[in-house]
Amino acid sequence: MALMNETAQPPRVLIVDDDAAIREGLVEVFQRAGFAASSASDVPAMEKVLNTRGADVIVLDVMMPGEDGLSACKRLSGKGRPAIIMLSALGDDADRIVGLEIGADDYMSKPCNPRELVARAKAVLRRRDNDSAAPGESVRFAGFRIDIARRELIDPDDVVIPLSAGEFRLLRAFVERPQRVLSREQLLDYAFDNDSDVFDRAVDVQVSRLRRKLERPGGIEIIRTVRGEGYLFAVKPAS
Amino acid sequence: MNETRGLPIAAYLGALVAIALAAAFIATLAIVIFLPPRPPDVMRTDTVTENFQAGYDHMLALNRPMNERGMVWAVREDPPEQLGSPVMRHTRDILASALELGQDQVRIQASNVVQSDTFVFRVAGLEDWTEASQQAVEDAQAAAEEARRAHEEATERLEAARERIRDLEHDREEMSAHQHAAEVARERERERAEARAEALAERQAAAAERLAERLEQRIRVEGGRVIIRRSDGETETVEIHGPDGMVQNFEVPDVDVRVHVPDAVAPPAPVSPPAPVARVTPSERAETPTPPPARTPVARAPPVPPAPPMFAPAPEGVVLISGFEVGAQLPDGRWLVMRQGRNWAELGWIARAAGIIGGTLLVLSILAVLFARYLTRPIRSFADAVQAVGVNPQSEPVVEEGPQELRGAARAVNTMQARLRALIADRTKTLAAVAHDMRTPLMRLRLAAENAPPEQREKMAKEIGEVEALVASFIAFARDDPAEEARVRLDIAALLQSIADDHADHNRSVTFEGDERLIITGQSLGLKRLFANLIENALKYGDTARIKLRAEDGAVIVDVEDDGPGIPADQRESVFEPFVRLNEEGTRGAGLGLAAARSIARAHGGDIVILDAENGALIRVTLPG
Repeated sequence: MALMNETAQPPRVLIVDDDAAIREGLVEVFQRAGFAASSASDVPAMEKVLNTRGADVIVLDVMMPGEDGLSACKRLSGKGRPAIIMLSALGDDADRIVGLEIGADDYMSKPCNPRELVARAKAVLRRRDNDSAAPGESVRFAGFRIDIARRELIDPDDVVIPLSAGEFRLLRAFVERPQRVLSREQLLDYAFDNDSDVFDRAVDVQVSRLRRKLERPGGIEIIRTVRGEGYLFAVKPAS
Repeated sequence: MNETRGLPIAAYLGALVAIALAAAFIATLAIVIFLPPRPPDVMRTDTVTENFQAGYDHMLALNRPMNERGMVWAVREDPPEQLGSPVMRHTRDILASALELGQDQVRIQASNVVQSDTFVFRVAGLEDWTEASQQAVEDAQAAAEEARRAHEEATERLEAARERIRDLEHDREEMSAHQHAAEVARERERERAEARAEALAERQAAAAERLAERLEQRIRVEGGRVIIRRSDGETETVEIHGPDGMVQNFEVPDVDVRVHVPDAVAPPAPVSPPAPVARVTPSERAETPTPPPARTPVARAPPVPPAPPMFAPAPEGVVLISGFEVGAQLPDGRWLVMRQGRNWAELGWIARAAGIIGGTLLVLSILAVLFARYLTRPIRSFADAVQAVGVNPQSEPVVEEGPQELRGAARAVNTMQARLRALIADRTKTLAAVAHDMRTPLMRLRLAAENAPPEQREKMAKEIGEVEALVASFIAFARDDPAEEARVRLDIAALLQSIADDHADHNRSVTFEGDERLIITGQSLGLKRLFANLIENALKYGDTARIKLRAEDGAVIVDVEDDGPGIPADQRESVFEPFVRLNEEGTRGAGLGLAAARSIARAHGGDIVILDAENGALIRVTLPG
């Protein structure tokens, strides 16, 4: 429905939070970042806005009076719904996983860096353009499985292989763009959102680490090096 | 978990029973085996030779030594030592002749030889003895009968002589007076001779009778002779010949020979005093001429067989030996040796008895263990159920079954579980409210900081971050419920590597060394938090953290080292308590990291301890592999 056209129309963001100060602050931050931002103080108001103006991404508070964010998120599932970033006062890993598993595209805990929230919103929108797997799902390739909510790799023997944040983002970037040669710059962009901490060389390091974790005796080479160009994720993933 | 140390009651009971039975078994065995052996029995040489003969025959017949008669049998190349004793030589000669071997082909040696007349033996062949006595009696009676017949014959002859005398007297009337007188005198002379013969026969019968009387002594009848062997070793021989031979031979010194006349033989009145023809003892000589009427038939009418004697002196040449060894050469030149000693083969029954006892004990032990297991089974299932409740309060309630006490305990546990659930629900609600109430203002502040000048914004963001970290650690610790997360198989090496990489990606010095892949069962979020806490702690006090992983004895050991000031020995336990911080000044955090880490490790069945390190701190995490 709401496919974004970055040049023509600014992406629409809807902030849902019961705290007015947070609502206003976030609207300001998003507007500054070029979003068309609107806000709602609870779930019924959110639905009203969705029905009238629509939204490309919703920043949804979990704990609100009345219906809470998790159940609203669950109801909004299905194709064509806006992307959802949960913003919660419960910041635990377990809460994050629950949020992602019921269909949120991302999950951040309060207090967060507002600029990071904007970056995540952009990333979420970009992923939706690529029609990639939602976090609640898992992606399979070559006997492996990626649990996106838990940021874990599960190997063919059902052993959980924990990944570092960088490895997970890189793997996700590969899985979303399989069988395409990706340059280091592209990978930096997709996986690390041009994070200032990460530079070219780091991509090679991350790739080699990831390769080691994907290596299995007798298994195929999943990430191939294309000399002078970059890397290629050589298998086709399935949801 | 430390509580699972100690053996189940069943094991204790089983072991107790097994130990008790095994001790009894070993004691019994020891008694049988190690009781002081009896001193070797003395044996009569004639029994020994008899045994050996049987063994020799056995060897010749079956070509293997026998294994009987309480002796140890062997076939070997060397003969046993020879014993020089003349007594033994005698025995050897007997044995050699019995085995039809040369004297040098038989050897006997004994460690003890006893030769004494003071030994008496229980008589072995009692029947033979009685038979021989009866034979002697019969022989004596036959002799008496013969004597009577001789007497009758003599009487007959006497009668004939008288007839003759009458004839002669009749003739004498026709002869001269001198002639007559001479005839008469001659006739008288003959009469006297007849009477003498009669008396002699009488005496022979009496002697035979006497011999029969003395059956306490050893009597043997050979032909016409009666041989009596006395206890003092003297041999007496009484020779009784037929009535014609009239040979008597009494050599009975110092013996009170009592004579009585059997009924059948009525002694005729001696015609003339008998002339002594045999040399007899003075006492006998005094008595024989006048057989006293008092000792005739009344007292000893029939010749009763004598009461069988219970004991008798050793036969001639028989001595007692012990610790002996008897050998005889076999036809192939080897020696068959019979030795007196403990014959282990005879202990075979002990081995069988041991087998039976051992088997019984084994069965009993197994039964004891099974019984004890049966007894403790409800307790074990109760323990399992309570354990499940303890790990996860949302688990099924404990089934109320088994003995009364257990049912009561189960009910109490179920009540407790219900309260626990209510408490957890309350706590979760409260924590959510606290988190919301504390983090919402922080978020407001964070947004407000966006409008501040950049240098202030960073400072504020940092302060807000610190407060947020505190809030997060409180909430995390308060809601910490390690049991909630599912356990999966995970690669602990990859987990530690990813934590190290995350820090390294942010330019913090965290290194990992250890296996490439090490799979354990655990909670991936819990373990991530555990090690993240330890490493944050290390980085808080020092600049670097080193993670070292190794597998040891089925456990996984992770050492986290830093180069900070280290942890004093007296605080190594207290730092695991909540809200305890090592150094109050200049440190951040609520002091909950180590407490949470330890509770996660313990929920995994492992532990965290602080060890001595050369510099810095060394925290060791042990997890079951």
